[in-house]
Amino acid sequence: MKILALHPEKCTGCLRCELACSYMQTGTYQPSKSVIRVSPLEGYTSYAPYTCTQCAEGWCMTACPVGAIAITAAGAKDVIDDKCVGCKLCTIACPYGTMFYDSDTAKAYKCNLCGGAPACADACPTQAITYEAVETADWLGDFAAERTAYVLAADRAGVRAGVA
Amino acid sequence: MPPRHLIVGGGTAGLNCIRTIREEEGSVASEITLVSAERPYSRMVLPYYLGQTIAESHVYTATPASLHAWNVKTMLGRRATGLDTANHTLTLDDGATVEFDDCLIATGSRAAKPPIAGVDGPGVHCFWTLDEARAVIAGVTPGSRVVMVGAGFIAFTILNAILSRGATLTIVEVAPRILPRMVDAACADIVARWLADHRVTVRTAATLTQIEEWRGKRKLSFAKGDPLLADVVIMATGIRTNLEWLEESGIETSAEPGGGILVDDHLRSSAKRVYAAGDVARGPNLLTGTLEVHAIEPTAQEHGRVVGANMAGRDVAYRGSLVMNIVEVAHLDVASFGQWEDAGAEVYTAVRPERSQYRKLLFRGGQLTGAVICGPAADIWTTNDVGMLKGLVSTRVDLSSWKAHLEQNPFDVKPAFLATRATARLLPMTILGRPSRSPELPQSVMVK
Repeated sequence: MKILALHPEKCTGCLRCELACSYMQTGTYQPSKSVIRVSPLEGYTSYAPYTCTQCAEGWCMTACPVGAIAITAAGAKDVIDDKCVGCKLCTIACPYGTMFYDSDTAKAYKCNLCGGAPACADACPTQAITYEAVETADWLGDFAAERTAYVLAADRAGVRAGVA
Repeated sequence: MPPRHLIVGGGTAGLNCIRTIREEEGSVASEITLVSAERPYSRMVLPYYLGQTIAESHVYTATPASLHAWNVKTMLGRRATGLDTANHTLTLDDGATVEFDDCLIATGSRAAKPPIAGVDGPGVHCFWTLDEARAVIAGVTPGSRVVMVGAGFIAFTILNAILSRGATLTIVEVAPRILPRMVDAACADIVARWLADHRVTVRTAATLTQIEEWRGKRKLSFAKGDPLLADVVIMATGIRTNLEWLEESGIETSAEPGGGILVDDHLRSSAKRVYAAGDVARGPNLLTGTLEVHAIEPTAQEHGRVVGANMAGRDVAYRGSLVMNIVEVAHLDVASFGQWEDAGAEVYTAVRPERSQYRKLLFRGGQLTGAVICGPAADIWTTNDVGMLKGLVSTRVDLSSWKAHLEQNPFDVKPAFLATRATARLLPMTILGRPSRSPELPQSVMVK
């Protein structure tokens, strides 16, 4: 199956993916409703997009008490709105933090790969997000480990200076 | 002859077990018999039925037709009364017997009421089973005065529904604070203030002494303070495992509080080829390895799936369950994970009272072992990274270099999650050692 491959070293932090995603998922341009989320790192000089890995366990899917999360033809785990009661169990069951709850609709929602044509990959001007037939991976781990030295150094300095 | 699996109890654990057996065996099917006192439904969604956001038909997790399609022989409306572990025979309340090759005990739990005068009287309900939910639905009408006894997780799951039915609500709790087994005192304080702002009266340290009929209403008396009048009383005072029917079976149960059938890492009881799962099973805690009854949905799901795989001939060891709960009360999210109350842990907290936000992270050495979260549901930062906390707790990644950051910013978990490569640890993790399937089963199952 094809999945979203993330290449943080190419991300410019333009947030077009978040706009495209929120529009596809909710019909509004609202980054807060996007299910792909760009994190600033290294004092806002580096950025990394982050979204559902479509993991093998499917913690959201197996946790749902009413079978409201299923695997789509595109291979994505997706919420069936008519079945979702809005209990939020999936949001705490997903260990990646990529299950969300929309308080306007009172339903859970997540990356469904836009049915096989992900809007985020389409919107990304630098191919930091690509839709490919590859194994899913920890796309961000090495990049984030390297680009968080700034924040950790700042914390150490803060602790030394007695700043809470 | 194909193996004969017997599932006793049609709740979350039982249904997950049945589904997993069928997933594992593909088209070659064993014989499955389900004995259940009730038609299978999800207790977890009963509050939404009470709140009228779903129909009763939505609560069922299986229908007679779907069970037939899955080739499950059903004995619904019948209760198990005895288990002969030597002769592999179950006895039912009508005297009938069922023979099996292996058996799952998943008879769940029931609401427990304290021994107080009047708790079995008219207008006094529990909210645990579908029948109890129906009774509460019939009783709580617009303008009803509802008093809920007990301010724990179960009580809080139905709080929104009671308000949405147009009733007024008072919660009384014997402990000095609300949610004593789900969050710490600081978080409980924020929730209590939020409730006071949202038309819910809370009375703590209130010891109920009796309930009596008074002019067509229920009068609740307390050890101290004024009595309360109610149209409907809901007792949310805890649960008890349904194990009495096994007293003569010889199956080992725990004498500790909470009880439960003692199980090993394959969810096997002390009796050969007899498993236990869900609220009746005292299974391992993921973090400590201690045997505990969690009585929560995710534990029952995982137990049921592991038993199903093992019944189908796999050899699946279970790592253990993580305690986790989330509840929304009047648009305030409250959640906790793992060892959230631990005197030996290093604790970092952040409180933003003006936004009703609270967060607590607990560490043992470099590992996150528990967390408490609270904040408005409409505020995306409340639950934006909530799952990552579960990821950090369950992978036990080393956060040593991030502790100073998390101490100063308990709300900024994501960079720590990413940089410690929790994702790489999580990706190979599955409960059954294989990718999970969609919840729908194959359309029909043929017996060989």
